[in-house]
Amino acid sequence: MASFDVENGESGRRRELTLSLGFLLLAVTLFVLPVQLQQGISGALRSTVLAPFLWTQESLNQTRIRAAEINQLQARLDSTSAVLASQRTLLIENVQLRGLLELRERAGPTFVSASVIRSGTRGSESMFLLDVGTQDGVQVNDPVVVAEGLVGSIREVGPGTSLAMDWSHPDFRVHVMTADGEAFGVVEPRFGAFREEDRLLLNGIPFNTSLAEGMPVITSGLGPFNPRGIEVGRILSLAEAEAGWRRGYWIQPAIQPGSVTHVLVITGGEGEPVSEWTHLWSDEPLPDSLPAEDPPVDGLDRGADGDEGAPVILPPPVDLPDSLDPSGLR
Amino acid sequence: MSRSFLFWAIALLLPTVHFFLQVGLGIGIWAPDLLTVALLLLARELRAGKAAAIGFCFGLLEDAFSILAFGANTLTLTLLGILGARSRDLFVAESAGFFLGYLAIGSWLRYALHWVFAGESLRGSAGEVLLVQGPIAAMYAAGVGVIFLILTGVIRESGG
Repeated sequence: MASFDVENGESGRRRELTLSLGFLLLAVTLFVLPVQLQQGISGALRSTVLAPFLWTQESLNQTRIRAAEINQLQARLDSTSAVLASQRTLLIENVQLRGLLELRERAGPTFVSASVIRSGTRGSESMFLLDVGTQDGVQVNDPVVVAEGLVGSIREVGPGTSLAMDWSHPDFRVHVMTADGEAFGVVEPRFGAFREEDRLLLNGIPFNTSLAEGMPVITSGLGPFNPRGIEVGRILSLAEAEAGWRRGYWIQPAIQPGSVTHVLVITGGEGEPVSEWTHLWSDEPLPDSLPAEDPPVDGLDRGADGDEGAPVILPPPVDLPDSLDPSGLR
Repeated sequence: MSRSFLFWAIALLLPTVHFFLQVGLGIGIWAPDLLTVALLLLARELRAGKAAAIGFCFGLLEDAFSILAFGANTLTLTLLGILGARSRDLFVAESAGFFLGYLAIGSWLRYALHWVFAGESLRGSAGEVLLVQGPIAAMYAAGVGVIFLILTGVIRESGG
């Protein structure tokens, strides 16, 4: 592969040197640009030149998940058909009552389901893209959760996509409390020798407060993370103690970010009341009836009896073909 | 195969395949760093200024997914483009062995430069990145690059 682009004399070399230094300077400038400008540039590139690659990954993810869960969906479809057939009147009544009471307006934060896309490129660790954006009501700092607990929070939002960081991001901080409300503190990530060893550290616990191993730690609703009650993890062991002053505890995170493919984003506009979702992640049984200000949300359920085990977040309802939908509502 | 066709094949095909594998298929680090291979091969054909421009563009695309150290890839690949173009003053061989070494050293250098520019919060330990991950990934990329050159007939044509 012989060179076909040969420099011509001293003036050519000088021009090339100037050009090289110019691009180097431009690269250094990019490096030190304010974060907002950097985000603007990267967002523009992702939504134009790189959009086909992101679309490809999203499509493949969807296909893979559909293929893997086809049998499960078939079973759910059969079960749903039976349930719909037996609860047709209840469903109609429920729809009418919800409309009358305008529960939709009183529901507060809502859950938006999203697919996770990880670019896998160098420097994008701890970040992931979601296929929801401002069009879906997503805002910066909205919590990203799964059935097991908190995954992270939204960092940037575009019209149809958003960029989120998981708890292993160096900038991640969340105000938490123990499930019994005994202790409050701030959780931050601590890096291990390998990514698999990354853990969370609960800081700022008073020295005279001792936390038992396995105790759940949930968001306290302070800071940008609202609502409260989202499980962050469980107390693992004592990490550090400053005599007479404070203690720090290792926390076993509720979720390993790498295993997440689908998430829910808890959205809620500014000025809306802080909501309480402790019951979704609590080990305690659900009360017989939820308080009026915290109505159940579509797609969330605690299982058949609602009295044992971890909460279950059901997928969005499947669009049934008319021939298979006995309710006749579609 | 005509040289201009080969040039555009490298300039367009390899980066496209790179992003298709790493982002589209989500293979991540298991895919070879074809962006670096493309830049190093193009740099051998171009003057330093144009090589820097291509390195800048490639780096910017890579940085679109890098929030933690935005600009690190751009700076790294711009520098690598310049160094690749200047390497013609030192080495003129065109054998398979030469390209294997050239691509391996260039890819390792890309790892090392990115490690330097990435900042302490992102980069791993120097030993792990520069002595374990870097050499393995560099040899992987170099091997794929040489296979690409053989498939396109470049090495055979030049008698390598």
